[in-house]
Amino acid sequence: MIRVSDLHKRFGDIHAVNGISFEVKRGETYGLLGPNGAGKTTTMRMLSALSPLTSGDIEVGGINVTERGREVREILGVVTQHDGHDSGLTVLQNLALHGYLQGLSRSRAEERAVEVLTFFGLEDRKSANVYELSGGMKRRLAISRALLTQPPVVVLDEPTTGLDPQSRNRVWEQLAVMKRAGVTVLMSTHYMEEAATLCDRLSIMDHGKILDEGAPDELVERHAGEEVAQVRTRSEEALAALRERLAGTTFNLHEVGAMATITSDNGKRPEISGIDGIRVNYRSGNLEDVFITLTGRDLRDE
Amino acid sequence: MTLTAAENRAGGAGAIRWRSVQGIWLRHWVSYIRYWKITITWVLIEPAVALVAVGAGIGQLVEAVEGADSYAEFVTPGIIMGSAMFHALFETSWNAYHRIDNQIYETQLTTPISVFELTLGDVAWAVTRSLFTTVAVAAFAAALGWIDEWMVIGIIIPAILSGMVFGTMGFFFAATAPYTVFLSLVFTLVATPLYFFSGSFFPISVLPNWVEPIAWAMPLTPGVHMARGFATNTLEITHLWSALYMIGMIAVFWPTAVWLMRRRLIK
Repeated sequence: MIRVSDLHKRFGDIHAVNGISFEVKRGETYGLLGPNGAGKTTTMRMLSALSPLTSGDIEVGGINVTERGREVREILGVVTQHDGHDSGLTVLQNLALHGYLQGLSRSRAEERAVEVLTFFGLEDRKSANVYELSGGMKRRLAISRALLTQPPVVVLDEPTTGLDPQSRNRVWEQLAVMKRAGVTVLMSTHYMEEAATLCDRLSIMDHGKILDEGAPDELVERHAGEEVAQVRTRSEEALAALRERLAGTTFNLHEVGAMATITSDNGKRPEISGIDGIRVNYRSGNLEDVFITLTGRDLRDE
Repeated sequence: MTLTAAENRAGGAGAIRWRSVQGIWLRHWVSYIRYWKITITWVLIEPAVALVAVGAGIGQLVEAVEGADSYAEFVTPGIIMGSAMFHALFETSWNAYHRIDNQIYETQLTTPISVFELTLGDVAWAVTRSLFTTVAVAAFAAALGWIDEWMVIGIIIPAILSGMVFGTMGFFFAATAPYTVFLSLVFTLVATPLYFFSGSFFPISVLPNWVEPIAWAMPLTPGVHMARGFATNTLEITHLWSALYMIGMIAVFWPTAVWLMRRRLIK
């Protein structure tokens, strides 16, 4: 349903997207996971025909984005990173206008607006000004806006960033319903839990490249191991000993102050014994471990 | 108008999707009438106050000028066109910047609309706003007997042209403003000086000789000149030049505005 091949985007000297390729099958939920500045938003903007490609190709539903961007936007529901609601209009008017611009008749747009508002539990806010809504409601409104035309493909850029856990759960529920309805979804996120819960497959991106791709479980197996060791060290010497022990092995040590996590490159459980002054606990590997293994701990600028 | 590959419109390079333009105009109308109690102060009350103060107040001190029977008659088309300018300019500078800054255009662009259609819808609305204030103030002036009722219809022509001149010009500021305060320049550098020095309040002929051609070249002058031709029923060939000058400005400003907006919105 979505095919991205050898995609590049440069802004002056910055190579924001540096040769990525991936495919999303019909009905699949696909995630782009990466730190800030990884190139997720740029990729999604190019895919929505909001930003010209430097080179490469994107097809959505068999339609080439560069040649027929307008048609792509006809079959695409887009949730941009910023809600982008129109503060001069009410909730219902926002949706009705969007539906009309998308191609629905004025009466049909209004009908659909009420339907999606009901679906997202916002029907009693339809006459409110958008600036009166809470953050979670604004986000749900943005998602409902993308669903007005019942598009076969929906693109969501960080759908839950900045939401409280309740609102996030609510958004997840709605995404699950969408998924059951057979909608193809491409989403970006930097929440691991979100990616693990919602995505059938995902790519881990950093510095404009895809570092690895696969189902969440596969990625965990490949880069973290089913079980990872959580280590508490009591002294600098103990930590040094641990470092020495793991050097050159298939295990990776990720230090956070006096804490450290040990992941595995080949799925093996890291067995640590014979070092004084450390305490080892085991827990299930997760996407966070994968993420840190692949992208490191450096802070990113926006 | 040619478009970049990124906008890649369906149906050939020249096809305009009128639904897009209509939708944008309708958005403005719906939003505008929600706040009509506020906007009417700017559409009618503020320019009417200026008109009465200048026409009836200062008018008592001034003898009739240039073909007009009274100073009030002279100044009426000037104040009307000034108001038309403010409305059009404000719409596509301040309001358009607000829509850039709050990602409203970004949201609209996720639908099958082009930047060209977006700006066309906005300019159409800017012209509409110019017409609202023109008709409102002209009707008020007609009630005072400062303009012939029938000439109100004639003034609509320069109001549309001038609305397009300033409606397209406003985008220059919206598309290049790095921050909101920058937009003050729309008033301090453009609108206010033009309001006073475009032959609205005194004939350009009273200016020093070397300033005269500059005043004639200013973008509001042809609108005021043409409106006065209608208002005082003194139409002649120079009013046609004014119309052509405005059309020329639109022909330059319009593609520039679209180019600047595309540069700002499509990255």
